[in-house]
Amino acid sequence: MGEEGQGLKYVGKNLPIHDGAAKVRGRIKYTGDLALEGMLIAKLLFSPLPHAKILSIDAKAALAIPGVIGVYTHENTPKTHYNSQVWFDGQEAMTLEDERIFTDTVRFVGDKVAAVLAVDERTAQEALGLIKVEYEALPFNVDPEKAFDNVVSIHPVQEPFFTKEFHCGNSDEVFEQAEIIVEDRVETPKVHHAAMEPHVCIAVPDHNGKITILTPCQIMYSVRLTVAKVLGLPFNKVRVIKTPMGGSFGGKQEVILEPLCAYLAQSSEKPVKLELNRKECIISTRTRTKVIGVVKTAVDGRGKILARDFQVIADTGAYTSNGAAIVSAMGKKLFRLYRVDNQRYQGRAVHTNTTVAGACRGYGTPQIMAISELNIDSTARRLGMDPLEFRVKNLVQPQDSDLSGGPSLGDARVIECALEGAKAFEWSEKRAREPLVGRYKRGVGMACSTHGNGYYGAFQDFVTMTLRMLEDGSMILLSGLHELGCGTITSTKQIIAEVMDMDPDRIEMSEGDTETSPYDIGSQASRVMHVCGAAALKIAQSVKGLFRSQAAFIFKCSPEDVVMCDEMTWSIKEPDKRLTYGEIARTVQRQHQLELIITETYRATDNPGSYGANFVEVEVDTLTGLIKVLDVVAAFDVGKAINPDFVKGQIYGGIQMGVGFALTEDIKIDPLTGIVKSDSFANYHIVNAPDMPPMRVILIEKGENDGPYGAKSIGEIATCAIAPAIVSAVNHALGTNLTVLPLTPERILMGLLPQKK
Amino acid sequence: MVLEMTVNGKAIKVEVNPNARLLDVLRENLGLTGAKEGCSGEGECGACTVIMDGKAVNSCLVLALQARGKEIITIEGLESNGELDRLQQAFIDQGAIQCGYCTPGMIMAAKALLMGNPHPSEAEIRLGIAGNLCRCTGYLKIISAIQEVAGTNLRKGGQDDDGV
Ligand code: FES
Ligand code: FES
Repeated sequence: MGEEGQGLKYVGKNLPIHDGAAKVRGRIKYTGDLALEGMLIAKLLFSPLPHAKILSIDAKAALAIPGVIGVYTHENTPKTHYNSQVWFDGQEAMTLEDERIFTDTVRFVGDKVAAVLAVDERTAQEALGLIKVEYEALPFNVDPEKAFDNVVSIHPVQEPFFTKEFHCGNSDEVFEQAEIIVEDRVETPKVHHAAMEPHVCIAVPDHNGKITILTPCQIMYSVRLTVAKVLGLPFNKVRVIKTPMGGSFGGKQEVILEPLCAYLAQSSEKPVKLELNRKECIISTRTRTKVIGVVKTAVDGRGKILARDFQVIADTGAYTSNGAAIVSAMGKKLFRLYRVDNQRYQGRAVHTNTTVAGACRGYGTPQIMAISELNIDSTARRLGMDPLEFRVKNLVQPQDSDLSGGPSLGDARVIECALEGAKAFEWSEKRAREPLVGRYKRGVGMACSTHGNGYYGAFQDFVTMTLRMLEDGSMILLSGLHELGCGTITSTKQIIAEVMDMDPDRIEMSEGDTETSPYDIGSQASRVMHVCGAAALKIAQSVKGLFRSQAAFIFKCSPEDVVMCDEMTWSIKEPDKRLTYGEIARTVQRQHQLELIITETYRATDNPGSYGANFVEVEVDTLTGLIKVLDVVAAFDVGKAINPDFVKGQIYGGIQMGVGFALTEDIKIDPLTGIVKSDSFANYHIVNAPDMPPMRVILIEKGENDGPYGAKSIGEIATCAIAPAIVSAVNHALGTNLTVLPLTPERILMGLLPQKK
Repeated sequence: MVLEMTVNGKAIKVEVNPNARLLDVLRENLGLTGAKEGCSGEGECGACTVIMDGKAVNSCLVLALQARGKEIITIEGLESNGELDRLQQAFIDQGAIQCGYCTPGMIMAAKALLMGNPHPSEAEIRLGIAGNLCRCTGYLKIISAIQEVAGTNLRKGGQDDDGV
């Protein structure tokens, strides 16, 4: 594929998002905006303690309030165990199933204790306050490093509950002989996804025992799987409809509210809405995984990396969730960015009595890149080498293989990202500048990153789609696509429109509905544009083939002679006899009793890396410790931008998250009480408009992979290099080696203390 | 209690609970769900922004009864005769929308800004939407969309401006 931009009519163009008008008019209905007839409201009671046995729950007073339908606890709900991140039947065997709708032992502040179901929110809220719970407090631990002592037992497993190793070559031997070894310890925080739409779901029972779930989800088949399991229903009695998504970033990827909401609907035989507020989202849903990494790099005097070693701890919080998967995901990335012949990664996952971690934009990559890149920086510093030069010497090159055994890196153009980005940023000039004297210091830094394109090489990665042409020439694609606000639907329309040579607005695409959509593994693993986009391209080509063979009958020519252009078609031999696409579709129906429809399954065939290099300039106020990001240049190898504006939109948004990850965002937990201290936007700071730096984006579009027109992923990698680039710039400004994120003013001032002495 | 106010040009009379918030009345009593609640009503996210007597307010922080006799404009009231307001169109054209959850609040904040200052500089625009959080876009295209409209105003007014 990998065609150049020339000659393309729709691909590579900046079409606006398909539901933009509905969004600017305030007409689009998110799940929270829906009010169904007879709908009940559920509110949750959360644990105030980080670890405790529930001795008794007294709901009498709550139940006595008029309008309260029921109070639900571990005593009257299913005891089925599940794992919220399981997305295919059979995956359970690879992970711990330690969650339940309600538990008899709470394991973090924010764990679910009970639900009140009532006719309206006010009644539910009032009743919640009347539930009396008696707890027996248990010892707790919020420190992932202390988890290794196994003093506090959160689950009946030994900590770490999961260990994964990847290696290549013989790093032990190299480290023994190496003269220069640079070691760092890097820490990254738990982060709130902060999708502006809080977590919400509605479940609707019907008269035949079927439950329909309306949910802004990322993997509808995962929701179906877990809900069916918990409710004991066959899969075809659980219908999941993906509703408009008010932001997710992985936060709504796991099955969090749906099993409970579905159960409440099933038992009350009424539609039920369950919606969390911001505080509840922060303390009780999912977070980015906190990670602590110790990394060592051995180099020779000329700046060639000889070996690297990573010891990484992932804090998955109180329930297992994706704790095992993320440890593996982080390790794999390390073998896909630098050419290191001898490398070992050991990742371990532990439980703590804290909010559960889960998928979060990048799935471990922002964490492992922070660990790796900050150490690359300090290694360059030790060598007295420019960090750009040091990286370029060691970065992977196109068609390199993954030494840990993963799929080929493909046309990996990270060096191009680094060099082009450096040029636009004026890296050498800025790096060589004289330092400022006085209170304000300036510095520049950079970091690189890689991320994947689907599950090929790890899990099944396929998608089925049905594409049909209607009698007026318009088209419908049936698929399990999940639009998350990134422009998936519009981009997919652009691909089909390109193949069919027709206006993208004439193509309709419904989103995921497990009753009508063919199977799709969901919007995860940075797979959507690369894999589902390729599926759309393939199926459009198949329908085009069918169309041309049928048109050939009508024009009495060979299929190769059939020309298709702007919904008009003709034979090259008789250019004057033109028919519309609709006329062909109608004629085919009449004469051949045939519909122009094809269902096809596409299987991913590659998993190249996406790549990026980010450059940052910062100003640090050494008096207050406050940091201002002054400039960002972000270069990404995306293969091909199907819609460059969408790609840039992902990058700008990814940088917003990354600036927060580097400087302000941290779900702080009080070690004495286990309580989340940053439980609202008043004390959990995400970057707002005045604090966003100017951003310049460079796209490297060289195609050369199996994605549609050579497209690779961008949404996740967009947030993976920015934080270490910022930290690197701060270290450059201050002459420090700060490695604990976020760089709060207190940490900056502490970091400057040794210099003041 | 009875609340009388003007919403999107229409006189409204509704029975409200004394501690109901303007946001609740708009969403629940009037079915105007464009304004969202993004932060538990703490005035920290701006998703609930509407215009009250020409000023942007967080409708989660306004008691419904405080709106008595006031003129409220919500996102639903921006278009006229089926035509989008220029800000709405600019948000579409500039790609200022991703998930769209912040969009109604963002547009209303921008609208109030432009009503008071038709030619804001870039810094003034950033400040004007400082209370509106967006997790998707990184704000850049939102700022461009507002600048586009400020620029259109400007061309009509025929004066120069520092921010555009
Ligand atoms: S809901 Fe009003 S400011 Fe967030
Ligand atoms: S577009 Fe999603 S929060 Fe702004």
